Amino acid sequence: MKKKLKKLVNDFSLGELRTGLKVTSKEFVNKKITVQFPEERTPISPRFRGLHALRRYPNGEERCIACKLCEAVCPANAITIDSEMREDGTRRTTQYDIDLFKCIFCGFCEEACPVDAIVETHIFDYAFESREGSIIDKKALLEIGDKNESAISKAKEEDSKYR
Amino acid sequence: MSEIEIEIDGHLVKASQGDSIISIADREGIDVPRFCYHKKLSVAANCRMCLVDIEGVPKAQPACSTPAANGMKINTKNDKAKFAQKAVMEFLLINHPLDCPICDQGGECELQDVAMEYGSDVSKFNLGKRIVPDKGIGALIQTDMTRCIHCTRCVRFGAEVAGIVEMGGTGRGEGVKIEPFLTEGIQSELSGNMIDVCPVGALTSKPFRYEARTWQMNAVQSVARHDLVGSNIYTQSYRGKVKRVVARDNDSINETWISDRDRFSYEGLNHESRALKPKIKVDGEWQETDWQQALQFAVDGIKNNAINPDQLGVLASKHASLEEFYLMQKLARKFGSENIDFRLDQTQLSTGSSLESSINLSEIESVDHALIIGSYTRLEQPMINHRIRKATLDGASVNTMNSKNFDFNFKTKCDALTAPQKLLSALQSVLKAVHLKTNQDTPNDVSDVTPSEIHNIIADDLIASANGVIVLGEHLNSNPNSLAIINLIEKIASATNLKIANITISGNSHSAEKVNFIPSGNGLNAISMFNDNTKAFLLMDVDSEYDFIDSKSAQGHFSKEDVFVVALSSFENQSTLRSADVILPMASFYESSGTHINFDGLVQSYSASVKSPGESKPGWKIIKVMADLLDLQGLDYVDSTQVKEEALQSSKVKSSVDEANIQSIDDSQVTTHWQYAPYASDSVTRRAKALQESNVGMINRAYVSKMTAHKIGLSDDDLYLGVPVSIEESVAVDCVFIHTNQARRA
Repeated sequence: MKKKLKKLVNDFSLGELRTGLKVTSKEFVNKKITVQFPEERTPISPRFRGLHALRRYPNGEERCIACKLCEAVCPANAITIDSEMREDGTRRTTQYDIDLFKCIFCGFCEEACPVDAIVETHIFDYAFESREGSIIDKKALLEIGDKNESAISKAKEEDSKYR
Repeated sequence: MSEIEIEIDGHLVKASQGDSIISIADREGIDVPRFCYHKKLSVAANCRMCLVDIEGVPKAQPACSTPAANGMKINTKNDKAKFAQKAVMEFLLINHPLDCPICDQGGECELQDVAMEYGSDVSKFNLGKRIVPDKGIGALIQTDMTRCIHCTRCVRFGAEVAGIVEMGGTGRGEGVKIEPFLTEGIQSELSGNMIDVCPVGALTSKPFRYEARTWQMNAVQSVARHDLVGSNIYTQSYRGKVKRVVARDNDSINETWISDRDRFSYEGLNHESRALKPKIKVDGEWQETDWQQALQFAVDGIKNNAINPDQLGVLASKHASLEEFYLMQKLARKFGSENIDFRLDQTQLSTGSSLESSINLSEIESVDHALIIGSYTRLEQPMINHRIRKATLDGASVNTMNSKNFDFNFKTKCDALTAPQKLLSALQSVLKAVHLKTNQDTPNDVSDVTPSEIHNIIADDLIASANGVIVLGEHLNSNPNSLAIINLIEKIASATNLKIANITISGNSHSAEKVNFIPSGNGLNAISMFNDNTKAFLLMDVDSEYDFIDSKSAQGHFSKEDVFVVALSSFENQSTLRSADVILPMASFYESSGTHINFDGLVQSYSASVKSPGESKPGWKIIKVMADLLDLQGLDYVDSTQVKEEALQSSKVKSSVDEANIQSIDDSQVTTHWQYAPYASDSVTRRAKALQESNVGMINRAYVSKMTAHKIGLSDDDLYLGVPVSIEESVAVDCVFIHTNQARRA
């Protein structure tokens, strides 16, 4: 009886509305946590594993030496590499393909790489317009690397003290 | 040897006096790390990796050079042994570059494996590492001598097995370098084994460089088909292409070694001239077509041209498999033709089998004397030559009767330089000498011969030998009196109780003889087949430019308007395109299953290592389908094992001694002895790029003695039949010895 009476009073005095408005008015003055994506972005860890890239040395020479350790370690068999001896006698890739549909973004390739050539960047907002688009080749990977080199090296720098 | 008992890691083990500790440990499956020790090489004890603790001995001892003694208590894994091994490992890694990611040895490297167990994570060495510049050592082996750990396995291999000391250690201490003494590259025909013995990536395969990683490849047990030995190999393929061939241990055949020809010939498989689609020639124009049409075209052509069954000729190269030989001859015989042959490069052909040997491979290494007639065994049959060399190391003497003094890797006692046209009379002289010395009756044909001094020496050695062998080589094939010579050698062998090693025809010729791939009855052989009556030919892997003794007349016959030629071939080149009317692309070596029969008569089957490229099909399948289309019964096989089992039932026709009519030759005339270099032996090897660029592969010289050169007006570097001349005194008089990889032009 007492319970019913309490509910009746609450209902007629717009109790729930007041509770709601209280939250609203509190959040009205609180600091907001949403960001305006894509204009604004949330911060991410230097270890974030996004789209892959192949890096170069500062002198422009590609880092990858076709050791195929990433291919061997890849649990999803997403990496395909072909190697050759370049004219200057060094070991280089002729083909370096990553199938992003297969990739599970575990980062093992990055861990296995002895020369820090293959890295996973902080890029995660990408899309393919065709099925074949999921396979990114060496040229594309190097382009991604060139475009994002400063971000990649910054992330590597930040992470280095924890390794 | 007396038996002793020792204790290794707590196990009581019986061994014989003098066994090294490491060999006992290996037998017992106890792992002792090592770099310089190799079971087939002498003990050097210079890497110090195999240090073990022996109870009562204050310092750790190398297991490879310490003989076991009765009651010894050995510990390979206790703290003292481990400490010593780890210390050695640290030293070995001081100068070793950490370039495993780009090293082709990575993944199969003994140093890498041992370092995983005995190496430390961090090096205490912080000074500059040593760098050793590379000297090129030829087209087959890539050197990265900075990686070398000075185990000297390659040096010992050269000195002890290859018989040519080409690599050596120079300098001292920190400055020690393993390098070739000469700059023109490795000459040995077994050089590829240095790659196998090298425990690190200092010596790696040059054609394989950076092609694939070791762990990616698919290894299949196979058998090499280039020579009579049938060396056991692994073919390693990556993405459907053979990338490398390495040796497989088999003590009774190839021990742990294989010849460079077996190791590097695979490159020919990926040559651009591979036949990938069936092709037919319509009105002189080549058209690509599908299998059904091509086979129908081939069968129609055979039916229309060989109106009588005996107008069909069937020829195969000596490198075909047992199954292919069997099906080819069965097809021909069911069709009604006896014109079957594989002996394409011989001037005289016997009617029965011609490859009888009375010795087997492992016995060759224990002979006390060898007479080599007409063979450069070192390049032609490297593994048989290796056995002869082992015999010479145990004190056997070797005499030779060749057109030229070849560069053997053992010392020969007496070299009787004999021009081909004089070989018959020379052997008659030897036989006479044998008869005179042993007081045997002399047969009529040699009664009026007076043995010369050198033939007396050869005869003396033959008689003195209790357990000798006469080796008949490939060079006899081109001799116009080859049958008479072989008969004569048999007489000499029986008069002196010696054994015969017949290595006149290489490849898989024992299989061909096993299934009677030779004409019987009125059948025509490879020489008599080129008459006007034979109108249709079925060729398997035959290159008319190289394979025939008289390639001109063969090519001329094939390209006649009314002769129809069906070529089952893995490759297309100008000569095939000119002579054939249909090309049926065939799987090559390692691409189809098959069987090889070796010198000992050992039957070795192998399965396909890779799929054949393009639309090409295994040879035995093509022949089977052709037989079906020709309405021949009894060739309905399901797989090649069925063919093999049936083929092995057949028994070969024993050689009826051919009473050869002896060709009388004016032996004062200069004769040309055309001998193909070893890497021109078959269609695959001829297309193997690295082999052709190696020292042995580039052999292309017409050797002539000064006197003979004067007689026929030749001087150094002239071209004789298209081959540059070299005037040397080591050539028989009245003979031009041509050793070449070019196609025959005469």
